[in-house]
Amino acid sequence: MSRPPPDPLYILRGSGAPVNTLHFYCGGDGPPLLYSGSGKGAVHVWNLNTRRAEQVLESHNSNSVIWLDTFDGSRSSLISQGRDMRLCLWDLSEGRSAVTDSLLTGAVGFCQCSLLESQPGSSLLAHPTQDMEEVSVVEMKSWTQVCSLRPDTKLGMLMSMKMWQADSGPVLCAGYEDGSIVLWDVSQRHPLSFLKPLPEPVMCLDVHVCSQKGISGSSEKILQSWTVDGQRTLQMHHSVQMTNPGVSQMRIRADGKILATAGWDNNIRVFGWKKLKPLAVLQHHTDAVNSVAFSDHQDPTQRLLAAGSKDQRISVWSIYSES
Amino acid sequence: MGSVETECFLKLQVRSHLRTLSCSQERMELLHALRSLAGLLEDAEFTRTYYARALQVLVAKDWSKRLLHDHDKELERLWREMFLRGPAEPVLMTLLDAISSARCEVDRSSADSAQYREALIGQISALPSITSNQLRANTPEDLLPHRFYTLLAESILETLERTCQALRAGHDCSLSFISQLLGKVCIQGNGGIFGTMAPRLSSLTRVDPLMQRVTQNLLEKVPERCMESVITGLVLSLKGPTAVSRLMGDLVLNNKKAQFVLTHKMLLQQYQHPSLLLKSVLGYLSLDSERRVLLKQVLRSVCQVWCNSSAVKHTCVEQQLYVTRALLLTVALLQNSEVQELRQELVQCMLGGVQCRLDSNIERIRRMGMVVGECLSQKLDTPGSQLQFQYESNEEIQELRSLMEYQAVEGEEPESDASNNLQPIVEASEVCAVPSQSITSLPVNDSDSELDSDDDLTPFDMSADQEKRISAPPRYVRDCLEGLMSEDAERFELSLQVAASLLRKNVTTTQEVSVQFCRVLLHLEDRYNTTLFLSLRQNAMVALTVTHVKPVVDYWTTEFFSLNYSLRQRLDILEVLALSAQELSEPIRSKQAAAQPIPEVVPPEQFDDITHWRHIVEKRIQSKTRRIGKGVTQPVKAAPNRFAPVAGCFFFPLLKNYDRPQTTFDLLGSDHLVLGRLLHTLGLLMHLAVNAPVASQMGRALLDFIWAVRFHTDQMVRRGVLFAVCSVFLGMHSENLLTDLGEDLMEARAWLADVAESDCDSDCRSLAMQSLVLLDRTLKAQLKIPEMKT
Repeated sequence: MSRPPPDPLYILRGSGAPVNTLHFYCGGDGPPLLYSGSGKGAVHVWNLNTRRAEQVLESHNSNSVIWLDTFDGSRSSLISQGRDMRLCLWDLSEGRSAVTDSLLTGAVGFCQCSLLESQPGSSLLAHPTQDMEEVSVVEMKSWTQVCSLRPDTKLGMLMSMKMWQADSGPVLCAGYEDGSIVLWDVSQRHPLSFLKPLPEPVMCLDVHVCSQKGISGSSEKILQSWTVDGQRTLQMHHSVQMTNPGVSQMRIRADGKILATAGWDNNIRVFGWKKLKPLAVLQHHTDAVNSVAFSDHQDPTQRLLAAGSKDQRISVWSIYSES
Repeated sequence: MGSVETECFLKLQVRSHLRTLSCSQERMELLHALRSLAGLLEDAEFTRTYYARALQVLVAKDWSKRLLHDHDKELERLWREMFLRGPAEPVLMTLLDAISSARCEVDRSSADSAQYREALIGQISALPSITSNQLRANTPEDLLPHRFYTLLAESILETLERTCQALRAGHDCSLSFISQLLGKVCIQGNGGIFGTMAPRLSSLTRVDPLMQRVTQNLLEKVPERCMESVITGLVLSLKGPTAVSRLMGDLVLNNKKAQFVLTHKMLLQQYQHPSLLLKSVLGYLSLDSERRVLLKQVLRSVCQVWCNSSAVKHTCVEQQLYVTRALLLTVALLQNSEVQELRQELVQCMLGGVQCRLDSNIERIRRMGMVVGECLSQKLDTPGSQLQFQYESNEEIQELRSLMEYQAVEGEEPESDASNNLQPIVEASEVCAVPSQSITSLPVNDSDSELDSDDDLTPFDMSADQEKRISAPPRYVRDCLEGLMSEDAERFELSLQVAASLLRKNVTTTQEVSVQFCRVLLHLEDRYNTTLFLSLRQNAMVALTVTHVKPVVDYWTTEFFSLNYSLRQRLDILEVLALSAQELSEPIRSKQAAAQPIPEVVPPEQFDDITHWRHIVEKRIQSKTRRIGKGVTQPVKAAPNRFAPVAGCFFFPLLKNYDRPQTTFDLLGSDHLVLGRLLHTLGLLMHLAVNAPVASQMGRALLDFIWAVRFHTDQMVRRGVLFAVCSVFLGMHSENLLTDLGEDLMEARAWLADVAESDCDSDCRSLAMQSLVLLDRTLKAQLKIPEMKT
């Protein structure tokens, strides 16, 4: 008999609205933080030592916050993306909660942005635009557009994307409405490879840069992983079947050992990253899970998994964190 | 003239010696007489004529005394010599005569006569019995039957081998003595003698064609009346048809009796043999082209038996299984050309036999029919018209199916030889050595295959990972009812799942819609392939019945006999009635009592002042007392049987209309399946109503009903009848049994005794036996009481 699945370490309550997105910040000095974006435009900054919300930022005119990230390696520089078609930059230092800058993207979809800090001080940001199929990559400080990526063939709406720094320069992986995934060379502005693992829209994808492997999920029961080989082409890899269909988000832990998915069936699923072996089904939430995030703790034993759900709660788990 | 003189002289001489031996007490005289007699042992005339007589004198009583008491070495040596050096038969006969002290009335002078041989064979084959009759517990081990017959088998084998040698040397040999002996031993029930002989003969005949001739000759000479037991013993001990064929040769063609035994008796009249024997016999018939004629003949007769509908009804299941095996084996052994030749017979057999088997109420027989139907149609290979049945496979089915793959030649099992035994082991290790190749549908980099595993992460228990449902189960009885009628598969399923518990929880609402709910449930079909559909539906029906007993039971019993229901629905009704009655008759368990929403009605006595006061104080004490070390054991409370007052509602309506056939439902005709179940259910109801006031009326009515159907041809119905009889005897109070039934009882008793003896179904026999025992016990108890009083 295998061990029973663990219970959550603790639950963060009080966001008052469905939790859409989560982001950990555990570096630097000071307590580890978890940023959460809610469906009513509030961004909560949770202190994971006291397990209380330190700050609540009202933003985006009470429109849903769909993406959060910190930049400049600082806990007080936050970027948020809302359904009001805006990106906001926040300065949270010394108790402030001020929007320092904002960008009107014009995107009405649900696609989350992707931030790439290539060198300290200069960051690239990929964001969806008014044109549903287009990805715009901008230089963060100046909002000057580096490039605009548009597929030649009709793939439908942009659904999700991830940008990372490869040897030859930044590359971006984008998932589209018809289920196809396109690997873009950002500096050359042309598609490198094309893959259509699933027929349904790509709800989410994540790429583990070290193992050159990525995975995509859709509204179906199947998760399909793929590799990026030496010629920077996408190849199908493993696939795994889930009990219930629908994934809203998935994340690979930084060490490339496990993958967590946020399921529409209220469950968080954990898979081994190498073979996609199902490892655990974490049941706690009473409504669809919207977001999962792994913490970036320096000490691997302290690594956490957080999941935000439509039932307005955030569950925090410690799983496979030993050694 | 000279020979006559010597003969006379010999006669005189022997006579005088014998007289001395029998009468004299002088040691020297005795020694002299013995010596001279021993000297005569070489004389053929003496051994032929006088030896037996001399031996008789020597085993007389005073000799044994003399040898035991005097301890005379010389005398004893000579005495032994007389026995050991002479010919064996007279010695054996004399000694055995002496042991059994029952003299055979055999003419000793004609040692070669048939009668004498007969006696000799009888004595040899019965040696263990004769000796142990005398020696009882002191019988030496070699003379105990098992050991003795092994020894005898070894001697016979040795004789046969010597015969072979003699034949090679050009001598003439007769085996009739051995054959008769073998026959005698076998007919006395010692067929186990072949356990030693058969393997040895099998391996000898494999290498030596002369030995084959010898054994075939041996078997041919076996007397006719012993043939059956010899053949049975031999075939049972041989492994595989080729061995049988080597040993028996064309015995089946030459010997009428052997033919009868092999092609008829063993296949169609007996059924206790293992299927290995069938394989041996039928394989033996198939191995030679001349014998194949017999195989076809066998197929015809087996077909005839198999498709005989009266045989299906009147023979026991085991025998049917045996015949089925024989049929399948025969068909498997037929060649394609022969199949075409016998096509007509096979098709007729298949159609008739399968049909009457499918009609049967016994599942095992139905399955047999289906398997044979499939196998035969496959063998006949009519394109597009092969039979295909749906049934659950079990061991018996698989065994029957495997018979179709049987081939006579490969039926030979390897000799248990060291070199042979090594073979499979080597093969097995080779199989293991082949690396198991994992099947991967997707290209995986081999370079990092070692690192590429998640084995270091042990998975958690994922059993809680279930398919998620979108809609919620209904919370009200009426919603549930609607859900059951809805077209939405998920809603339907959820409604069915919660129906039973909802009905039990909401008693008042249930009572409002009970009959309507019944109608819906009765007509419910498994449209969406719901898991556990049947049991969920049944649970709901039972829940309805027990929560609103009278109207629902009325509904069931009227619907049972009405038009336009399928057999399944009628059977469902019976099952539900039985289950509900059972639930009602059980005392309510404490848990259920707590959950019962009906407030307990306080009996009026409790309003009496004093009891009331006491009641309250007792309760208070109970609640304040903490009892350590005492579990939650509560005293067993007597509760009224909820079934007793309503037993009549369940029971009598079911007896009302049985003899009124409808266009769609003829209980006494073709729907005997329902009749069998009905009888069972009635029996159950009777049993559950034990101690109820209405029980004796029910019993009487049930016996009346049974009377009409007790000689039904269907076994299931007869089983039901006997079950009902049992329950009447159990359920009715013994006094009532006598007073109410009286005359009928005696008649029933005669009938039961008849069934117990002669019914073809073993279950029927045992049930009849059971009810006889029950009846006798009650009768005895009843008839004894007055005796004790007086």
